[in-house]
Amino acid sequence: MLVTMTGVRLSYGRWPALDKIDMEIKQGEFLVISGPSGAGKTTLLRLIWMGDRPDSGLVEVSGFRSDRIRRSELPQLRRKIGIVFQDFRLLHTRTVFDNVALPLQVTGTGKRTVQKRVISLLARMGLSHRRNAFPHELSGGEQQRVAIARAMVAHPVILLADEPTGNLDPEVSREVVELLLEINRGGTTVVMATHDPRQVPAGKGRFLFLDKGVLRGADRWTELDSET
Amino acid sequence: MSLFQSATREVAINLTSRPGARLVTLLMVALAFIVFDTFLIISWNLQGIMDREENLVGMEVFLQRDISQAQGLVIGDNISSMPDVKSVYYVSPQEAEALFRAELPGRADLLDVMGNDFRLPASLQIVFEPETMNQGRITELSRQIGSIAGVDDAVYGEDYLPGLLKTVTTIRRLVILLGIVLVSSISMVVFYTVRLSVVRRSLTVDIMRTVGAPWWFIRIPFVIEGVFMGVIGSAGGLAISAILSKVLAGAVTHRFMPLSWMTLVILLGAITGTVGALAGSYEKER
Ligand SMILES: Nc1ncnc2c1ncn2[C@@H]1O[C@H](COP(=O)(O)OP(=O)(O)OP(=O)(O)O)[C@@H](O)[C@H]1O
Ligand SMILES: [Mg+2]
Repeated sequence: MLVTMTGVRLSYGRWPALDKIDMEIKQGEFLVISGPSGAGKTTLLRLIWMGDRPDSGLVEVSGFRSDRIRRSELPQLRRKIGIVFQDFRLLHTRTVFDNVALPLQVTGTGKRTVQKRVISLLARMGLSHRRNAFPHELSGGEQQRVAIARAMVAHPVILLADEPTGNLDPEVSREVVELLLEINRGGTTVVMATHDPRQVPAGKGRFLFLDKGVLRGADRWTELDSET
Repeated sequence: MSLFQSATREVAINLTSRPGARLVTLLMVALAFIVFDTFLIISWNLQGIMDREENLVGMEVFLQRDISQAQGLVIGDNISSMPDVKSVYYVSPQEAEALFRAELPGRADLLDVMGNDFRLPASLQIVFEPETMNQGRITELSRQIGSIAGVDDAVYGEDYLPGLLKTVTTIRRLVILLGIVLVSSISMVVFYTVRLSVVRRSLTVDIMRTVGAPWWFIRIPFVIEGVFMGVIGSAGGLAISAILSKVLAGAVTHRFMPLSWMTLVILLGAITGTVGALAGSYEKER
């Protein structure tokens, strides 16, 4: 099991942002976590990359336990995880190439390896011609593809995408979801948080629904669909 | 690119951004150090006077004219057995005259005018233990010695030296106090400047964290920033102090501080900057 959560509870202030979370994520699956705004999707992803620890319960990710992990081990965990955000979070003082290369540069990967890996990844994303551009010179869809390339460059075992299409129009959103599905077909586990689970075609993934910090079981999207 | 190169690049990016705010901090650090340097220079010069006048930590005891050499030596023995007295040397009238002629050759005719019967008084040259000497002790000793039978007068740098001693002690305390104030206030200034840097670059810090950069890699640009401000600030303050010292050299005769003290000043700047930066860039586990 790649990720296991047992009896997880996390509060910001008085109300729990997440409560009684029990779930597992298997190697190679495509998991969609949906739910309304404030449901706790971002918080759930933060628990996976251990940007937060649970108040009670246990989170286990690829052999790292939330109750045992040391500060010095956090970078090791994060190198196994790729993260994509709604607001892209690119460094505006760096070119596309350098943004994508960042995860390799902070681990001291050799220049030649970085060059090869980044160039081939940019080619796969259709971004080769923009490699010397700066983020502000790119469209939203291009920026998100750069962010996905950065998340994938160090061969993570799991890719976390928090509302990756939130700032994109429907056409570009479809392309981004398609890209995530393709990455998943390559063997990488993908966890995508979204308020609109219909972005992912039925049958292409496992669906979990979060409501006020509590998991409401699978395949909720079909019910949602019939409601509308 | 090696990890070291990447880190160096982050340091460069951090240092070259927002130069205005950093300049203000540098000026503040430099100004604080100019004040500190001024006190160091004063302390150093007073110490210099002390060292030069060190042989004055002693007393010249003139004996009455009817005291023979044997009697004079007995009085000398008595004095040398008193606590805090390091040495006593008997100066005979003949010796005194020789000394007078040697030290003030222009005034030798004075002695000749006085005639053959004139003799300078015999005296005892007393040197005290410099460590245990203070104003109270030296006054007490002069009273004791002055009251010994056969002693005419006991002379020492009564008005000058004890005052100097006191001033040097006061200045030294002031320098230490100022040093403590300086270290804490500059640490604070650096702390807030670095904190501001961290907040301003929080997106970068967050991204670095999520891509798995080691903690030292994330922190080093901020620590270097603090060390930079401490070292450049203290060195700049020192340079300005040196220029001021040159300019004022005509009006007030003094020496600039020695190289070892300058090194210490810059070291103090570096330590202060490092402490402020380490505290300013500290974030709890995330
Ligand atoms: N840093 C924080 N401090 C305090 N409360 C927080 C913090 N982060 C999240 N919360 C609260 O926790 C709850 C869950 O937030 P979370 O961001 O996980 O929701 P979400 O499902 O991602 O919402 P959205 O779809 O709007 O992104 C919300 O009530 C939110 O207000
Ligand atoms: Mg969210």
